[in-house]
Amino acid sequence: MILLDRVSKSYNKKGIALERISLHVEPKEFVIIVGTSGAGKSTLLKLLTREEKPTSGKIIVGGIDYERLKDKDIPYLRRKIGVVFQDFKLLPGKTVFENVAFALEIVGLSNKEIRHTVPKVLDLVGLKGKADNYPGELSGGERQRVAIARAVVRQPKILIADEPTGNLDPKHAWDVIRVLEKINHYGTTVLLTTHNQEIVNKLKRRVITITDGHIVSDKSGGSYK
Amino acid sequence: MKRKLISLLRIIRSGGNNFIRNAWLSIAATAVMMVALTIILSAVVLNVTARNAVKELSKKIKVTVYLKDDVSEPRRTIIMSRLKAEQGVDDVAYVDRREAERRFKTNVSDGDKVFIEQALALTGNTTLPESLEVSLTDLSKSGAVVKVAKEDGYKDAVDDVSVGKNDVAKETIERATSAQKYIVRGSIFAAVLFAAVSVLIIFNTIRMAIFTRGEEIRIMKLIGATPNYIRGPFLVESCMYGIIAGILANVSVYTAILSLGPKLQNQAEFAQSYNFFTSTGMMFLLLFASVFLGIIVGIVSSLLAMHKHLKLKHW
Ligand SMILES: Nc1ncnc2c1ncn2[C@@H]1O[C@H](COP(=O)(O)OP(=O)(O)O)[C@@H](O)[C@H]1O
Ligand SMILES: [Mg+2]
Repeated sequence: MILLDRVSKSYNKKGIALERISLHVEPKEFVIIVGTSGAGKSTLLKLLTREEKPTSGKIIVGGIDYERLKDKDIPYLRRKIGVVFQDFKLLPGKTVFENVAFALEIVGLSNKEIRHTVPKVLDLVGLKGKADNYPGELSGGERQRVAIARAVVRQPKILIADEPTGNLDPKHAWDVIRVLEKINHYGTTVLLTTHNQEIVNKLKRRVITITDGHIVSDKSGGSYK
Repeated sequence: MKRKLISLLRIIRSGGNNFIRNAWLSIAATAVMMVALTIILSAVVLNVTARNAVKELSKKIKVTVYLKDDVSEPRRTIIMSRLKAEQGVDDVAYVDRREAERRFKTNVSDGDKVFIEQALALTGNTTLPESLEVSLTDLSKSGAVVKVAKEDGYKDAVDDVSVGKNDVAKETIERATSAQKYIVRGSIFAAVLFAAVSVLIIFNTIRMAIFTRGEEIRIMKLIGATPNYIRGPFLVESCMYGIIAGILANVSVYTAILSLGPKLQNQAEFAQSYNFFTSTGMMFLLLFASVFLGIIVGIVSSLLAMHKHLKLKHW
């Protein structure tokens, strides 16, 4: 599903954010990426969503070779990858329903299709009753689940979550993680970065540790070292 | 196909929302553009009207070619057709002695009569001469006509040539011609000025719209909206300025034409222009042209704003 072959990335001449990263992720895998702040986790994920281009190396996602990707193909690539961020990135002026519907509007789905699809996804993330609320009226955990709903409403093959629990207290963090597990259970490949040791240890999934732009360990059923 | 249509409708709706969200800026942008378009439209109308009036008035100016006594009819006909062939000549009319006499009696004041009769006596003539009256469509061609009439080849028949100098029409024409020049120059200047101001205001309005929707645009990029889907609403918004301004400019100019027109309509020099501009075809053509121009100005300004502030190149 995801293949990185000796991928390096430097933002400027001074330092290297990622150095010769090689990585293979199978379809339907749940992969946790850990590492201290500044290790290069977000950079790795941004390479996958094409927010950044690698300085060197090969990236192939879902059969698409990023070297051959043109600028005009990027929106279509992003439609196949769901993304969730630490700061939610919801639109405060839109309701929960509208925030999720937004992802369907931009790809030209009809209002009828949208009315049919959005409630199902809100149900999946456990926000059935909150459709008409505004993000400001929700807890952090609920907001992040809205963001997840928006990311998966188009049923992407891959879901990328960059520290989705970073701003949340443990209870809400676990709500979010449970939703991610559920989505993974239905067949979506999940890439999750986190600082949270407890979550890593309890999930017992594949854990990749990055330090200073290098992969220092990659263990299945692993724990935070 | 269906997806594209739905997206297009969403883009248009979103553009309308932009328009309403920055209502005051939108109104300002539309108003300034309307002023610019009104100036351009008025300039076109005034220019055409002035030109038509000059043409009409020029017909009143005549070059008089006085003939020697006893010019044969065939010779006269040849001279007449030669003058008719000249550019800017509307018509050539033959004025015989009797007609000259009649005009002399009806048109000339008593004081002048005495003076002219004395003058005739001095030159040894007892009657007024025959003449050819050349009416013109283009005043500037009078010199050329005089030159033709004075050619050596016609010396046997042509006695003298004069251009109606003390005619009121001539003065009016000269004023109309110079007014037309000022209208053209002044309106080009004003139109450029107001067009520049409206480009600036639209640029600023679109810039504000981009800023107020900054977060939304960033999210749209991340979840896979195409650049055109993001740009579309801003183009729609600026097109709306153009369309509304174009329609309003047309309404204001036609309000003026239709309220002033009937008062001037029985003056020959304005009748033609009034009929020209109030024909249905012309009304639609001008409406179309001003809306089109408005849309062009709108699109250019918003493209400039997007080029500067909507960084869609860097995904
Ligand atoms: N846009 C950027 N420009 C320059 N340097 C950056 C940029 N983004 C990240 N970096 C640098 O790259 C390194 C890795 O950053 P990041 O991937 O955000 O780490 P993490 O997500 O693991 O905290 C850091 O040293 C950071 O300063
Ligand atoms: Mg990070």
